[in-house]
Amino acid sequence: MRRVLEFAKSESLLAITAALFVLAFAMAPARALEALRVGGEVLLGVLPIIVAVFAAIGLFNVWVDKKAVARRLGEGSGLGTIVLASLFGTVLIGPVYVIFPLLKAVREHGARWAIVGSVLTAWAVKVPMIPLEIGFLGVRFSLARTILVAISAIPLGLLLEYVMRLGAGEVE
Amino acid sequence: MERYIGFAYLVVAFIGYLVTVRLSRQKARQAATSGAKSFFGVAPTFLAVFGLVGLLEVFVPPSIIERVLGAEGGVLSLFAGGAVGSVAAGPPVAAYPIAASLLAGGAWMPAVAAFIVSWTLVGFVSLPFEASMFGWRFALARNGFSFVFALLIGVAMGAIV
Repeated sequence: MRRVLEFAKSESLLAITAALFVLAFAMAPARALEALRVGGEVLLGVLPIIVAVFAAIGLFNVWVDKKAVARRLGEGSGLGTIVLASLFGTVLIGPVYVIFPLLKAVREHGARWAIVGSVLTAWAVKVPMIPLEIGFLGVRFSLARTILVAISAIPLGLLLEYVMRLGAGEVE
Repeated sequence: MERYIGFAYLVVAFIGYLVTVRLSRQKARQAATSGAKSFFGVAPTFLAVFGLVGLLEVFVPPSIIERVLGAEGGVLSLFAGGAVGSVAAGPPVAAYPIAASLLAGGAWMPAVAAFIVSWTLVGFVSLPFEASMFGWRFALARNGFSFVFALLIGVAMGAIV
């Protein structure tokens, strides 16, 4: 029982969904079954993309040494480094508890705030996920979103750096 | 369309593994293990999301989606999309199927775009963790600006797509 509770806590979204299905089956079994069928159908349709995306993420993890990139980014300070860092950010995949500490290390290696801000924005581009996005939302949507988020990375990074320097009393 | 993209991408990943195996068997094994690990890490969330998509399509009438996220709502819909995306916690892969069924249910495209962008860019739940890493000033400024950018990108998407 305790293990069930622990699982429900760590996978709260699954627990909530399961509870909703129990409720749905109690109230309208036919429609609940239909909901299950619709969900299953969508899942099966995109399963090849999901498998491929995660296979590619594995390759990326092996071939790109994130720590080495972090060290590099700490050393440069020009606009070129910010652009390079943003490009690196667009292919980054990982949860916050991996990416935030990685960027903290970048900052501790001497990187400007703009680099941290730009990479965090570029991280939202999520290039490896694009096939999945296209599968659900179409090429035009995915392409437009990708480009708009990517071009936001550098101005947002510079804006954040300005705010941080303002806080530190470095600029008026 | 989905199938076609899926298989094309599978072929690309397969070629990547073929090349990696030829260069280093150990690296290929590591890649497969690390990919499988990430996959099983999000598998429960995936199950939940596709279940939610099913529930959403069967039980939530399009009229409700249209009222909250529809084009009629204008700025309010945009704001609602951005706000839901900001508080939603979960891998981005979970956002796409939900966004697709919202669109199918009559949601306004810029509102859905704001939802997707804020899902990946703004993290309300992870705010304390971000502050512990970079300080509150950075965490609040980044999430605040990112929210505004998410809404602006939503508007721009409406003009482009």
